[in-house]
Amino acid sequence: MRGFYAFIKKEFLEQIRTFRLWILLAVAVLFGMMSPLMAKLMPEILSSMNMEGMVIQIPEPTVYDAYTQFFKNFTQMGTLVILLIFGGTLSGELSKGTLINLLAKGLPRRTVLLSKYVAAVIIWTVAYALAFVTNYGYTVYLFPETDVKNLFFSLFCLWIFVCFVISLIMLSSTIAPGSFGGLILSAGALVVMLMVSIIPKAEKFNPITLASVNVALLEGTKSVSGLTLTVSITILLILGSLIASILIFEKKKL
Amino acid sequence: MEILELKNVSKRFGTLEVINDLSFSVPEHSVFGFIGKNGAGKTTTMKMILGFLAADQGEIRVLGEKVSYGNTKTNRHIGYLPDVPEFYGYMSPREYLRLCGEVSGLNKDRIVDRTNELLPLVGLDGVNRRIRSFSRGMKQRLGIAQALLGEPKLLICDEPTSALDPVGRKEILDILSLAKARTTIIFSTHILSDVERICDSIGMLHQGKLVVQGSVTEIKNSYSTDVIRLEVGAECQTDQISKELKQMNFISRIVINENKIDIQMTNAEQYGMNILAYFVEKKIPVLKYELLEPSLENVFLEVVG
Repeated sequence: MRGFYAFIKKEFLEQIRTFRLWILLAVAVLFGMMSPLMAKLMPEILSSMNMEGMVIQIPEPTVYDAYTQFFKNFTQMGTLVILLIFGGTLSGELSKGTLINLLAKGLPRRTVLLSKYVAAVIIWTVAYALAFVTNYGYTVYLFPETDVKNLFFSLFCLWIFVCFVISLIMLSSTIAPGSFGGLILSAGALVVMLMVSIIPKAEKFNPITLASVNVALLEGTKSVSGLTLTVSITILLILGSLIASILIFEKKKL
Repeated sequence: MEILELKNVSKRFGTLEVINDLSFSVPEHSVFGFIGKNGAGKTTTMKMILGFLAADQGEIRVLGEKVSYGNTKTNRHIGYLPDVPEFYGYMSPREYLRLCGEVSGLNKDRIVDRTNELLPLVGLDGVNRRIRSFSRGMKQRLGIAQALLGEPKLLICDEPTSALDPVGRKEILDILSLAKARTTIIFSTHILSDVERICDSIGMLHQGKLVVQGSVTEIKNSYSTDVIRLEVGAECQTDQISKELKQMNFISRIVINENKIDIQMTNAEQYGMNILAYFVEKKIPVLKYELLEPSLENVFLEVVG
């Protein structure tokens, strides 16, 4: 257990001193702030533009527009930022050889992998919470009506999806060689999932659904019970990825 | 007691046989020089001892415990200095040693004590810069500090001096000489003068096998042939001399370098006379007659070359 804490501490120090934590937090605050602001201001920006006689009818923005922006930002740019920040966490160390000294001291490989995963999930959770709090503050301030359905479940769906992405990074890093191997392979896996998501029948089984139903949940057009299978599958996939990555990592040539 | 024991270890990469039925053992409190050409399999052997590579055949024991591939418990006895140690550049040496200490399960006070002992030993006391800005020699010295942190029973150093300038090399060798009192050291290298300076016993790896093994003096005396170096006048026909000398059956090899003639032979004390007699007879002016000290280099070239 001491190795686990020591390594998590090292992970945090690394994220802080290489400025990655600050970048992630800055992006989180930016998304949180920008989403409701853009929703509110977009109609005014559009109307202020000279459209040469064209008239664009835009309905008064609602709180749903704010959340649509928030979830869109996080599922697209957010996932990308997560991939870039954590994509090299294991691949980089493996290709540089920085783990050799510590593994030669008897630090178990599974400890390395799990503490990297836990550290990444904690950092993601903090960033996500910060983004949501900022977003919530601005939304309450800018919109008169802020009642939405299933808010926490909707947030949870996206959270667990990104946790899944991080576990995918871990698995990819143990499989693919090179410092960008983990990043490229997990990005590839996500693209495949995105392509599969076009098939309606596969929707229930595809973790990517958890990053696309968020607004529908808020509007009440999707129900919580309809997603329990997807959530369960995603949790199983996270566990599966972690176990597989540990098994592969333990037998990896260094 | 044997600290390290390899029995019939073999390793191949694809069709390339790197280690072939390698067996040797290292007794406690000795410095074992592991010598071989580049690509002879020194690093591969060390990685197998650390469980980073799987041996195809044979077994390796550290303090009697069997090494298993992947996670091996035997690593708790071992300190390892890789050929090019890599660190987290954003840490200071002290922070890095603390991480190493925590990872190896030392308690807080012990880590502080060991750090205070080791940093002055490796000449990094008071260096609070980030490791990113370190020179190669400094990284190598920090590498020794991290390897010694847990007071390992066995210290494995993979070519610790190969990439360093003469000053850096001397520093590393001095540190290893100090460490020798407390631990057993395996030290791979192709720099033979380093071996002669600190090793008690050596093993020469060639074509996947240990072709020579024993104490340094023993090997020098039993393996190396004697060499007589003669310096003759500049106007002498060295080629002609060489040709005629080769007629003598006790001479194994002659190397000519300008007006210096190195004559390798079986017993210089006995046959030296014959050579001098030849020079006297031919009236060749000899400026210098010297019996060269046996060196590991000659053994190495003889065995490997």
